[in-house]
Amino acid sequence: MPDKRRKRGTGGMKQAIRIAILGAFLLFASGCAAPKEDGIVLRVANWEEYIDEGDWDKEDEIVLGDGTSVMGVNPMVEDFTRWYQETYGEKVTVEYSTFGTNEDLYNQLAIGDRFDVVCPSEYMIMKLMAEGKVQPFSEEFFDMGTEENYYAKGVSPYIYQRLKQQKIQGCALAEYAACYMWGTLGFVYNPDRITKEEASDWNLLRSRKFYKQITVKDSVRDCYFAAAGMLHQKEVSSEKFRNAADYPERLSEKLNDASPETISRIEQLLTEVKENSYSFETDSGKSDLVTQKVSANLQWSGDAVYSMEQAAEDGVTLKYAVPDSCTNLWFDGWCLLREGIEGDREKQHAAEAFVNFLSRPDNVIRNMNYIGYTSAVAGGEDDLVYQYAEWCYGADEEQKDTVEYPLGYFFSGNPQDKRYIMTAEKEQSDGELFSQYPPEDVLKRSVVMAYFDAVTNKRINRMWTNVRCFDIKNLIPW
Amino acid sequence: MKKIHFSRSSLGIPYGIFLVLFVVFPLLIILFYAFTDGQGRFSAENFIFFFSNGKTLGTLAYSLGIAASTTAASLLLAYPAAFILAKGRFRRRPVLLMLFILPMWINFTLRMTALKEILTVIEKNLAYYPFMNTVIGMTYDFLPFMILPVYNSIAKIDDSYAEAAMDLGAKPAQVFLKVMLPLSVPGIISGVMMVFLPAMTNYVVLDMLYNSTYIMGSLIGSYFSAYDWHNGSLISMILLAIILGFSLCSREFAGQKEERTGGIRI
Repeated sequence: MPDKRRKRGTGGMKQAIRIAILGAFLLFASGCAAPKEDGIVLRVANWEEYIDEGDWDKEDEIVLGDGTSVMGVNPMVEDFTRWYQETYGEKVTVEYSTFGTNEDLYNQLAIGDRFDVVCPSEYMIMKLMAEGKVQPFSEEFFDMGTEENYYAKGVSPYIYQRLKQQKIQGCALAEYAACYMWGTLGFVYNPDRITKEEASDWNLLRSRKFYKQITVKDSVRDCYFAAAGMLHQKEVSSEKFRNAADYPERLSEKLNDASPETISRIEQLLTEVKENSYSFETDSGKSDLVTQKVSANLQWSGDAVYSMEQAAEDGVTLKYAVPDSCTNLWFDGWCLLREGIEGDREKQHAAEAFVNFLSRPDNVIRNMNYIGYTSAVAGGEDDLVYQYAEWCYGADEEQKDTVEYPLGYFFSGNPQDKRYIMTAEKEQSDGELFSQYPPEDVLKRSVVMAYFDAVTNKRINRMWTNVRCFDIKNLIPW
Repeated sequence: MKKIHFSRSSLGIPYGIFLVLFVVFPLLIILFYAFTDGQGRFSAENFIFFFSNGKTLGTLAYSLGIAASTTAASLLLAYPAAFILAKGRFRRRPVLLMLFILPMWINFTLRMTALKEILTVIEKNLAYYPFMNTVIGMTYDFLPFMILPVYNSIAKIDDSYAEAAMDLGAKPAQVFLKVMLPLSVPGIISGVMMVFLPAMTNYVVLDMLYNSTYIMGSLIGSYFSAYDWHNGSLISMILLAIILGFSLCSREFAGQKEERTGGIRI
């Protein structure tokens, strides 16, 4: 017996040493993970490369018509902490992280990551709203009288209106999300191979004329919308449908239809698209267009701007077209997460200030210039953002081939506003200007894609795997 | 003061912790997800769905086809190369071996982008030959994993075996088939193991090359990005079962080989 006890004794000693070593290791690790902070800690999650990171070269400086200079010296996040300290006299530390897809963000939240302010796309915001995970912005945030409320003062009246119409369980999206970037869905195409008319038709995706020449985004929602466009385009383009009083509602209802019959028809269409297209791309669409491996690519307008810029550098001309029948109006917006903020007023204030800082006209220009997407902020009284649009796309005085491009609907809410009719190069009206600021009639035919409930979502995902999977029937011939 | 003494078995503790934390525990989670539904109840619905659906089974068959072709292609390329490297009369053998392994040091993103350009020049449009291009891309990526183990096993074979066989009247072809090949089987098996499973699942290679071929890995990816963790886990489990069965078979096979060639074991 005593012998045994001694053995256990030494065993205990060893155990103790092991535990001590492990403990020391854990202590060290936790010491690294949690540095001491004072002031407010704001946890921000945003898309990759979706904010100005500063460090511009001298030649990147933007000098606008009225002589204002815009330049990104420091990363936007750093500028924000400095601005917050100066304006409100409080220290804020931003923990900035990025995500790759809306689903990644959702998965991160599901496994318990905590953020205060995040920037998902419209359908994910609606999903988070329906699940009660986001909270509305405060009333102060929408107070136009406060100097620092750049979002409330500057957001485009048109975009704000669309956000107000979008309702989830009776709550308007506009109260829960501050729109950051927005755009349309369409085709970037090579005008040497495809005409504008061909690219203005959803059926381009299954046209035998362009067999294995078109890439499609590897994304269920965008493909679903494109196929729904194919399915309904004849009907929704008819005079009768267009002139109906409740045209916007009916259009939205048609394109967001996800009944089992529609899903199975969309599955057939997408299978045709799969057979006909070059590939479903995740990241290669832009470069394949520039290297001319493909002739067109289903893309978001923001990426289209980037593709066209890149292609121009390589001496290739690309254009952007939105199908005549209908398109998807998408946007990414900042929203406040309930589980992150936890009712902390100071934190909410900092989060709202962050959104406001990003909406300050000079910062809007910095972000737009860096990302290439279109900001939802028009600038309100301040016309800096419009000056930037003119700086980008306005025609020189000696240029002959110009068009009048009215943007009043976006900048002031009045389509006829004389101040916002841009004289632009004709080239731009179906190129970068068209994709960055589409004309009003394109948006009249646009639909915000709703989020689908769990059952429908499951059906659509199953439809999507069915489309993507290799059909065993195709194996048998060989 | 007593000296701190580590027994040999306590050296295994760090790896033990690693194993439990990052292998056993996640595996249990995957197993849990694979056979439950959204409410955490036991459910075999996903399992039945997978094996009763022509599309998912088709993808499994297609992936197996791609993996088998890739493995065969890498073996056909790697074996002669490894044989010449190991048995040829070169003065700077290590340098040569390094040249074969060199591609592994270059980031695969870069290699795949380059391969895509080369193939486009040859084929004009990659989309016409999805199966072949996938096999070429995978073979390109995984070839070093085949060369190394095969080279090692051939290099270990003592030259005197071949000499003895020849002394006893075997022709060169017989020497190769009856002596060298059987002795290099362990290397072949580990090479096959290193190539086969990644070739079934590594869809990142395909994304880089040209993303239209849909393999088991892509299917798992799709399910997880659609937050369907249950189906994603189930398919991971099926792949695990396949590879487990595969490695058990190969061990059996290798064991037999060793017995049969027992007479000339070192």
